[in-house]
Amino acid sequence: VCAWHPCPSTETALGSSDNLEHRRKDRQVRLAAFGINSILYQRGIYPPETFTRVTHYDLSLLLTTDPKLKSYLTNVVSQLKEWLFECTVQKLVLVITCLETNEVLERWQFDIECDKSAKESSAPREKSIKTIQHEIRSVIRQITATVTFLPLLETPCAFDLLVYTDKDLVVPDKWEESGPQTIDQPEEVRLHSFTTSIHKVNSMVAYKKTESA
Amino acid sequence: MDLEDDTTILTTLKSFNSFISRPEHPQRLSEHSAGSGILQSQYKRSMELLEAAERVHSKNRYLQLDQEKKQMELSHKRARFELERAASDSARDLEHEVDRNQELLGQIKKLEERAEEVNKKLTEQKEANDALQKNLEGLNKTLEERDDKLGTANQTIRSLKDEIRELRQKIQNQDSKMSAQTLENQELQEKIDLQQRKYQEVSQLCQSLQAAQSSCSDHIIKIKELERRLVFQEQDFAIVKTVKSEVARVPDLEKELKRLRDDNAYLRLNTFLKENCSLLKEEVEGLRKKLERMEKTKEELINMELEKELHAWENLGQSTGLNIRKPEDLSREVIQIQQREIALKEQNYTLNSRVRSVERSQSELRAELTQQHSKTLEEQKKREAQDALVRRLQKRVLLLTKERDGMRAILESYDSELAPTEYSPQLSKRLREAEDILLKTQSHNAEMEAQLTKAQEETGTLKLQLQTVSEPALLNSVCACIFFLRQKIEDLERERQRLEEQNNILEMRLERHNLQGDYDPVKTRVLHLKMNPTAIAKQERQQEVEALRQEVTRLRDLVRSLQSGGAVGHSQDDTHNPSFSLSLAPSKEVLDLRKQMESSELRNQRLKEVFQRKIQEFRTVCYVLTGYQIDITTENQYRLTSVYAEHMDDSLLFKKGSNGSMQLMETEFSKTLGEMVALHLHHQKSIPAFLSAVTLDLFSRQTTV
Repeated sequence: VCAWHPCPSTETALGSSDNLEHRRKDRQVRLAAFGINSILYQRGIYPPETFTRVTHYDLSLLLTTDPKLKSYLTNVVSQLKEWLFECTVQKLVLVITCLETNEVLERWQFDIECDKSAKESSAPREKSIKTIQHEIRSVIRQITATVTFLPLLETPCAFDLLVYTDKDLVVPDKWEESGPQTIDQPEEVRLHSFTTSIHKVNSMVAYKKTESA
Repeated sequence: MDLEDDTTILTTLKSFNSFISRPEHPQRLSEHSAGSGILQSQYKRSMELLEAAERVHSKNRYLQLDQEKKQMELSHKRARFELERAASDSARDLEHEVDRNQELLGQIKKLEERAEEVNKKLTEQKEANDALQKNLEGLNKTLEERDDKLGTANQTIRSLKDEIRELRQKIQNQDSKMSAQTLENQELQEKIDLQQRKYQEVSQLCQSLQAAQSSCSDHIIKIKELERRLVFQEQDFAIVKTVKSEVARVPDLEKELKRLRDDNAYLRLNTFLKENCSLLKEEVEGLRKKLERMEKTKEELINMELEKELHAWENLGQSTGLNIRKPEDLSREVIQIQQREIALKEQNYTLNSRVRSVERSQSELRAELTQQHSKTLEEQKKREAQDALVRRLQKRVLLLTKERDGMRAILESYDSELAPTEYSPQLSKRLREAEDILLKTQSHNAEMEAQLTKAQEETGTLKLQLQTVSEPALLNSVCACIFFLRQKIEDLERERQRLEEQNNILEMRLERHNLQGDYDPVKTRVLHLKMNPTAIAKQERQQEVEALRQEVTRLRDLVRSLQSGGAVGHSQDDTHNPSFSLSLAPSKEVLDLRKQMESSELRNQRLKEVFQRKIQEFRTVCYVLTGYQIDITTENQYRLTSVYAEHMDDSLLFKKGSNGSMQLMETEFSKTLGEMVALHLHHQKSIPAFLSAVTLDLFSRQTTV
């Protein structure tokens, strides 16, 4: 995902609150991107040899090298950043469908908070690498932990990214409206929502119950 | 009593009714016997009845009214009871309120006292505030004055600093001049010292020179003697050299002599060599001459060398430019040179000593310089320290003067403040404030009292209301209203709870749906990229599936065609078999083979046709030409039927034997041709003749018959 390379150095304050807001949203989006990459790797949607270890913020993270996937993710993520800044995004959902039966097997849902009042300098202006690392690690840890109880994906699958936005939003060119793509009779697991200094991210994963057992 | 009343009423009514009905009967019976008296009696009776009815009615009414009255009394009692209760309650409430009132009054009093205290404190604090403000003002004034003074002092300081700077600069200039002059002095002194030292040295040198000269003369004499000795020694040396050389030559000559003697002896001994004696003698003479010549040349050489030396000595004199003709001149020259050398060495020594002394003096001077420098630095530091001290002291003086002035000013201000003209407005202000506070508290008191009176009035009105209640209907209505309202409240509460539960359930459901991903279509929208991986994957999958299907159909057709491929090869169809039109790479050989097969089969067919045709032609020709149709019945058996045969079954059978000869078989026809058989076959042993005979015979038969 890091085709749009985020700056690995510490974020230093520049003074304007817009910049701060930008960087906050940037970080949220970056977290989401890392999370998506780790989900794709852990669930085996793409073969593990297409992922490389890249160092960002002194952490070694897995990112995909597939060019089509990279371009797709950059498109989505850039649009998401715009929408985040306008505070029109409510949720980001990663849907995994089975190609044979066209059924939705898994659904990862991230609730994104757009707190318009959080523009004061209540948060420290300088975000050290440690806090960023902590955030990234917590996301990836949760995802890795959920893999232990999620059922195996034996059939070939593909994934899709859905964005829940406000109704009165102008739909850009390459985007179209889609259904919520919910699972029929799912098992739901709420992930431990982690708090950063700015916002609270609620995440949960829903998966189709396996017919055996 | 009521019931008795009722029964009496009912009985009276019954009796009345019966009475009314009875006279009707007799009325009917006795219609005819009626007269005016009966009518009157009837009328009277009716009137009496009416009166009785009226009386009964009135009794009823009276009874009803009694009942009502009793009911009213009961209700009245009840109302009175309740009223008394209410009155007692209200009395109790009154008492309570009165107590409360008293309490409130007590509280009010306490509050008032507290307010007064607070006011007093306020006033005191205000006084203190005012005093402090005055102090502040005084201090501000003093501060301002001090600031002014500070400003002026700063200005003076600045001017003084400038002056100081200028003075310092002057001092520095003068110091520099002084230093320059001292340096000059020092230089001059040094020069003087140098000169003095030079003079001393020169004097020393003179003395030393004189001593040296005396010694020199002594030395010269010694040298002369030594030189003479040297000369003698050199001559001796030369002689010795020549002698040495000669002596060195002696062994050679002795060797030569020995050799010559040996030769002579040899020659002498040898008589044969007498003849060569003359030669030898001539050789000897020649050698002697050579010897003589060699000696001459040697002498000449020696002379030459001597002359050369002389020349050299002379040349020396010419080369050195000195007046040298004899070695005495040389010696003189040498002496002079040596003297010069000595003099130069002496000069060298003196110069070295001078240099050393100068260096010593220089080092001493440098040490003195450093000492002077350090001394100057120390003096400068001392001066600076003293300047600082001076400044500090000046500052202290200034501060003290300022303090003194300030204190004086404070004192003056305090003295001035005590003038009464500045004091009264503050007092009046305070008075006004106190009055305001007083007014406020008074108004507050008045309000409280008004509230109290209101409360009292309300209790009074309540009492009056309770006392003046006469209509039970009001109370009833009030009670009914209350009851109704209470019921309504309960209903509403129950509904509220129900609605709350429903709300909770719905919220849970909503949350669950939210978890599952539902959204409110009015507010939110779900978007995704058109070219997302799932769509792409689905498309690819579909394409794959379609491709696979196409391949499957194609393969099925192939298989079918392969299965039916064997049957197609034998028939001579020109129809294009779909399998032949396919160009599968691995079955090219098969196709070629098939083609070959087809072509060969076609060829075969054509050949067969041709053969058949040809055979048919040949047979017909044979039949026509020979007149016999030859058929092969079985192996090696030939049946011939003639053209002119009378019956269809008339035929001759021939069999091919093992050796290849044809033999006629018995047939019915052949039995009739016994003669010919015997003639042609047995005698002539020719089948063609037999056959031709048979045809002729048959032909003749046919034509005749």
